[in-house]
Amino acid sequence: MISMRNVSKTYGADKPALYDVNVEIEQGEFVFLVGHSGSGKSTFIRLMQRELLPSEGTIVVAGQDLTKMKNWKVPYLRRNIGCVFQDFKLLPNKTTYENVAFALEVIGRSKHVIRTQVPEVLRLVGLEEKINSYPDELSGGEQQRVSIARAFVNRPPLLLADEPTGNLDPATSLGIMSLFSRINKTGTTVLVATHDREMVDSMRKRVIALENGRVIRDQDRGVYGYGD
Amino acid sequence: MAINIGYFMSESIQSFRRNWVMSLGAVITIYLSLLLVGASLASSMIVGQVVRSVEEKVSIRVFLKDGAAPADVDAMNKALVADARVKDVTYTSKEKALEEFKLTMADSPEIIDQLEVNPLPASLDVDLEKPQDVTAVVEMIKANPNFIKVADRPDDPEKSLKYGQQIVNQLFAFTRVLRAVGVVFIVMLAVISLIFINNTIRIAIYARRKEIGIMRLVGASNWFIRTPFLLEGTLQSLLGAFLALLTLGSIQWFVMPKVKEIISFMPVSLSVGSSVQISLILVLSGVIIGLAGSAVALRRYLKV
Repeated sequence: MISMRNVSKTYGADKPALYDVNVEIEQGEFVFLVGHSGSGKSTFIRLMQRELLPSEGTIVVAGQDLTKMKNWKVPYLRRNIGCVFQDFKLLPNKTTYENVAFALEVIGRSKHVIRTQVPEVLRLVGLEEKINSYPDELSGGEQQRVSIARAFVNRPPLLLADEPTGNLDPATSLGIMSLFSRINKTGTTVLVATHDREMVDSMRKRVIALENGRVIRDQDRGVYGYGD
Repeated sequence: MAINIGYFMSESIQSFRRNWVMSLGAVITIYLSLLLVGASLASSMIVGQVVRSVEEKVSIRVFLKDGAAPADVDAMNKALVADARVKDVTYTSKEKALEEFKLTMADSPEIIDQLEVNPLPASLDVDLEKPQDVTAVVEMIKANPNFIKVADRPDDPEKSLKYGQQIVNQLFAFTRVLRAVGVVFIVMLAVISLIFINNTIRIAIYARRKEIGIMRLVGASNWFIRTPFLLEGTLQSLLGAFLALLTLGSIQWFVMPKVKEIISFMPVSLSVGSSVQISLILVLSGVIIGLAGSAVALRRYLKV
C-alpha cells in the first residue's frame, strides 16, 4: 500500500525533517506513527498525500510513484486517501450531513450516490442523530467523527490521521480509536500519527517511531516506548 | 455535469453576495470602462458618418462675374468636365441662385424684399469623384486661363472659389484627437477593471480558503476548484457589460432623437448593424476582462 525507499525531506537549508526513511506498509494494516513534536510525523503524512515531494528517494502509494506523478493527477490520488486532522477541518456553515456530502459533491458524485452513502457512513460513526447539527453544536469527539465520516465516505483504501485525538479527552479518544479499528476491519489501511502514549499502548498495533527525522523503531504489536 | 453547472453558479452567486461591496466595485469599474468603450465607438462611428456626408457635399463652386462671355464660361465648363477627377458640373444661373437663397431664407422674407437687384453671382458647381482631390482640382481651376476671364472677382481669384476642404481637415483632426484620448482612457479603465477583478477574486479565494483546503484534501480536480472563481469574475464583468449596453441603449432611444431634431442636417443616428457590432464588442471585451482578471488572481493566489 505504502512503500518509502530512502526518503529524505529537507526544508530549505535546515537539517532534514526526514532522513533516509524506509517503510513498507501492507494493504489492510493498522500502523501508529509515533514521535515527539518535530520528529517528522507531519512531514511523513504530507508526503503520503503528495502535499510535499521528497528531496530524495521514492514513495509509492496505492501502486503509484508519487515522485513521478503529474500535478493534475494528484486530485485523483487524494480520492483514494482519506485524511483526518487534529483540528477536524469542518466547514462551520454546513451541517454534519452537508459537511460529509461536500466531499462527494466536489469529486462529482451523483445526488443518488450522495443520498445513499452519507447516511450510511454517518451510521457507521454513530452520528445518525446529529445529521442536521452544525459543527459548533457538536462536541469535539462528535466533530472528529464527522471528519472521519467525511474521510471515509468515499471508501478510500488508505486512511491517514494526523494527531486525531490531540484535542480530545482520553475517554473520547478511545472511542475515536475504536472507530479507526472498525474502519481498519473493512480492509482499509489506517496510518495514525500520534503522541498519545496510552492509546498506542492499549491498542497493541504496529508502531513506527520517529526521532529527529529517522525511523528508530518499527515493531509489530508495539508500544509508545519513549522513556520520558 | 448538470449538477456541476448548478453548483458552480450557486457558488459564484453566493460569493458575490458574501463580498458584495468589492463585487459591486468591480462591476461599476467594468461598467464605466465598457460604457466609455461603447460611447467612443459609437461617437467615432457617428463622426465617421458625418465626415463622409460632409465629404460627399464637398464640391467646388466657381463664382462667375455678371456678364461673363458665354463662350469663356463654356470653355471653363469643358475644361472641368474633361478632368477625370470631376464627376459632374452644373451651371447655376443668377436667377436660380436667388431662388435657392430665398428658400434658405424663407424664415425671414423681409431680407429678400429689401433686395432691389439680384446680388448673387452665377456659378459652376463642380462635384468630385473623390473628396481628397479638392485641392488639386482647385489648383487646376486657378491655372486655367479662362478662369480669370470669367471669375467673379478677378482681382482676388481665391474669393471666386468656395470649397469645403477646410471643414474636412478640421473634422479629421478632431476625430484623431478623439480616438487617441479615447484609447488612453479605455486602456486606463481596462487596467483598473483588471485590478478590481483581481482583488475581488483574491478576497473570494481568501473567504473560501477553508473550503478550498478541504476540496484539495478530498481530491476535487483543479478545474473544479478554479471554475467558480473564473465564473464569478466573468459574471461580474458581464453584468458591467449589460449595464453599459442598457445605458447606451437608452441614450440611443431617448436622447439621440432629440439631438437629431436639433442638428437635423447631420446624420447622427447609428445603424442597427453598428449597434449590434458595438454590443458584441462590449460583451466580448467584458468576458475577456473577467476571465483575464480572475485567471491572473487564480495564478497568484490559488495553489492547487
